Amino acid sequence: MAEASQNDSPLSPDAFDLLHVERRVQSLSRPSLSYWQDAWIRLRANRRALISLYIVLGLLVFTLFGPLLWPVDPSAQDLDQISRPPGASRAAVIVDPYQPWDGKSFSPMQAPVQTGLRLAEPANAQAVRLLWDPMPGAAGYRIYRNIFPMNPGDALGLPLAETLTGADTTFEDRMDLRPRRYYYTIVALDGLGEETKAMEMLPVEVTRVITLEEAKERGLVGADAQLVPGNAVQLALHPLGTDYLGRDMLARLMYGARVSLFIGICAPFLFVLFGVVYGSASGFLGGRWDHLFMRFADFVIALPFLLFMILFKIAFGIGPGESGIMPMVVAMVMLSWPATARLVRGQILQIREEGYISASRLLGARTGYLVLRHMIPNTMGVILVTVTFAVPSAIFTEAFLSFIGMGVAPPTPSWGSMCNEGIKTMLTYPHELIFPAVFISITVLAFNLLGDGLRDALDARMRSRE
Amino acid sequence: MSEVIPSNDNFTTSAGRQLLLFGLLAVAGIALLMIALSWATSLTSSTSGAVEGIDPATKTITLVLAEEPPQLNSTLATDQVSGMILGHLMEGLLRYDEHSQLTPGVAERWTIGEQEATFWLRDDARWSDGQAVTAHDFVFAWRTALDQANASEYAFILFPVKNAEAINNGKLPVEALGVTALDDRTLRVSLERPVAYFDKLVAFTTYFPIREDFYTATAGRYGADADTMIYNGPFALTRWVHGAHVRMEKNPYYWNSERVMIEVIDFPYVTTDPNASLNLFKDQKIAYTGLIEENLNEALVQRWHLHRFIDGSIFFMEFNHREGHPTANYHLRKAMQLALDPAELVYKVVKLPGYLPAESLFPIWLKGVEHNLRQEYPPPQVALDLQAAQRHLALAKEQLGVTELQPLVLLSGDNPLSNKQSEYYQATLKKRLGLDIRIDKQIFKQRLAKMTAGDFDMVLAGWGPDFDDPLTFGDLFASWNLNNRGRYANPELDAQVRIAQNSMDPRTRMDAFGEIQRILIEDAVVLMNYERGVVYVTDPRLKGLVRRAVGPDPDFTHVHIQEG
Repeated sequence: MAEASQNDSPLSPDAFDLLHVERRVQSLSRPSLSYWQDAWIRLRANRRALISLYIVLGLLVFTLFGPLLWPVDPSAQDLDQISRPPGASRAAVIVDPYQPWDGKSFSPMQAPVQTGLRLAEPANAQAVRLLWDPMPGAAGYRIYRNIFPMNPGDALGLPLAETLTGADTTFEDRMDLRPRRYYYTIVALDGLGEETKAMEMLPVEVTRVITLEEAKERGLVGADAQLVPGNAVQLALHPLGTDYLGRDMLARLMYGARVSLFIGICAPFLFVLFGVVYGSASGFLGGRWDHLFMRFADFVIALPFLLFMILFKIAFGIGPGESGIMPMVVAMVMLSWPATARLVRGQILQIREEGYISASRLLGARTGYLVLRHMIPNTMGVILVTVTFAVPSAIFTEAFLSFIGMGVAPPTPSWGSMCNEGIKTMLTYPHELIFPAVFISITVLAFNLLGDGLRDALDARMRSRE
Repeated sequence: MSEVIPSNDNFTTSAGRQLLLFGLLAVAGIALLMIALSWATSLTSSTSGAVEGIDPATKTITLVLAEEPPQLNSTLATDQVSGMILGHLMEGLLRYDEHSQLTPGVAERWTIGEQEATFWLRDDARWSDGQAVTAHDFVFAWRTALDQANASEYAFILFPVKNAEAINNGKLPVEALGVTALDDRTLRVSLERPVAYFDKLVAFTTYFPIREDFYTATAGRYGADADTMIYNGPFALTRWVHGAHVRMEKNPYYWNSERVMIEVIDFPYVTTDPNASLNLFKDQKIAYTGLIEENLNEALVQRWHLHRFIDGSIFFMEFNHREGHPTANYHLRKAMQLALDPAELVYKVVKLPGYLPAESLFPIWLKGVEHNLRQEYPPPQVALDLQAAQRHLALAKEQLGVTELQPLVLLSGDNPLSNKQSEYYQATLKKRLGLDIRIDKQIFKQRLAKMTAGDFDMVLAGWGPDFDDPLTFGDLFASWNLNNRGRYANPELDAQVRIAQNSMDPRTRMDAFGEIQRILIEDAVVLMNYERGVVYVTDPRLKGLVRRAVGPDPDFTHVHIQEG
């Protein structure tokens, strides 16, 4: 009986006086922000997302403008610097061009004054020329090379060759010589080709060399430079090392990024766009149309990707040894959209029953306005999650297809194909695998975190929780 | 109140502790499960034989098989793995000994004339069910191999036998084949033409015997399983799980079983992955593994005793000489020949000791008249000469009437080495001659199909020897040879091949091979790449492993286990 008790109080004229004027019924405490401005503010507040955004932008700069700053041909092979890790010394000495050796001539400074196993000429990365005295009773010799010093009884290392007669007492080694210390051993063989106890060992320091012609050709010295053998020169710089054919890793990563990022961004963007249009149309129309649309999507899901990839390759007239990137994008776009379409349709079906949609409709909103203003922004979270998952999977698909020979054609690099090559030398030259793998990982992680941040930033419902 | 509800910090630490506890429990649980599972597997596998690479107690050696043999029917076998296994299971009239010399096999003695050859079989040669190996078994096997219905790819190797080619073409019945069993122990072979190397031929797989009653009883499944085969060699197949396991045990009926010093050769692993077999060897699960260049460092670090061996095959880049292919132009081929250096390929790209830069189609180990063929007939030297190469290229463009050549298609295999090699050629030919190369990477079968169809400009190909005579390489580019994939046709070369085939005089034959070698290099018919080598490591207790260029390789029939 609260009213009754109020009625009891006597009314006074004071009660009808104006206490104060409520002048500001409504005020804008903060500046008016559009949807996108608001999203940008929230994205900026998310440090992880912001860093990821910078990384993605950095990658774009790396691949688009990197080749301008580092104009090295990614398919040029530097056979003097095969599989070189980053930061290795690149000093080399100019020498005369390689001349075949008859096993008889000796350089004057190394005249055979010594006995035993010795060098016939100064050792360099072109060739190591060994010479030894005949051993009594030897019917031939086997030559070993090791990278460690050996104790008696140890394995002698890499067997390089056998000489067939005991009189053959010279050997020339040209097999993959690197600037380092090698330990050569010769073992005498008996008449049956079995090893005997007689052996000699020699440590050899190999220096890196280059001929003047090669140095000129590669632009290490001026074209008219008149260097004499013995002068030092610096070999071409490879900041991230070289791969198994002496190709510059940095240049290959830059060019490889073009393929990987093109596939990774272009294909998901296109098929998600199509999926959104298809799914929202299906969800919005509903009923029989929805049924028809979704059954067609089911049909597309059932189509095998690899088979279509091959069909497109043939339909596009892609011959052997040509790049299969375009059919790959087409096949991805044509076959990957149904997942997005299903997700978006589900969201739209849910949203179109919401109260604010009905209100908007009552206020006279048209279909296009409803879809673009209300429905799509509200499904943005789902769409972005799909994109962030699609980007790495597209990059991996490209890597896989390049591996089975349906993607990029050599010598064009892609990160995936570089990983596939690098994995073979993982134990010996890890940098060939690590760099492309790190780039793939960083890219995928950056896209994931950026997508995460974008979802939070674009989701209108997150606003109330601030 | 603060005693009852812990503050936020305390809650975090206790939750963290709980999480840590769960994590540890989970790890411990998984570890326990793994221990239990490995114990369970050891229970089941202990019955299936040795898990060690070498088991001196049971005289077992365990190895890895690169590929599953497609079948073990000796008339159909074409690949190296089948050849290796059949070399252990079967024995021909002649075989190769531990020094890779021809030695009597089933035949005790033989005579080979210009018109016919006679083989007298030993009477203690037995099949693995105890029955005697007779001359009829050879007659049956050779007829089967030549039968058109059998469609053997290696039928051509029997063509020196009288009427063989006509039978294989379906012009004569198989009974017309010039081979007869005079009695159970005597085999008479009539020859189509004088064959200087017939003794070497009969050691080849396709010449192995097959017993007719057993073959008919298998109803077309001969050689498809362990129980649809019968053996006359040092070993018998006791287990063959397709794609997973091959096991050979000593054949007690083999006439020379004293020379076989091990009881079991087991192949419980089938993989082509060199890293997988390296790891198996590291764990001492297998007694032998081949090494690839990428693994050499690891092998040095492990301080293994490495071996090196030239496996006899030669690899080359074959040109398509068919009309319409730019590679039919002599000057274009010559330009490429002068711009490429096999030594650079071997020493900088292949990087595996054992590989030799190839200078000629005839490998370095082939015998000539007295010494090695290559010593007696040194091949013409081709040196890198970029200026001459450019001149030839200009001539080629002029003759072809183009200013810029269309991209050339280089057909290549899909193994890592072919990849490296074709990418090396692509970059080198681009740099030195400005030629555009497109690499067509195909699996082995597809590559073979494309080679046969002539669907290439250049192809990376190789050839392994079938018998120990230069002719196994010498007739490759004869115009009638189906393995001449580029369809090179040169009457001058054909004439030399005819001489080498028909002459019985070693000097005349070797002269012909010298001519063939000269024509192949001077006309730049193919570009030589390398002679293939193998670097391998064996268990130090394994002794007597035989490697050979011709015949089954590797040969484990002579191995023994050295203890201590």
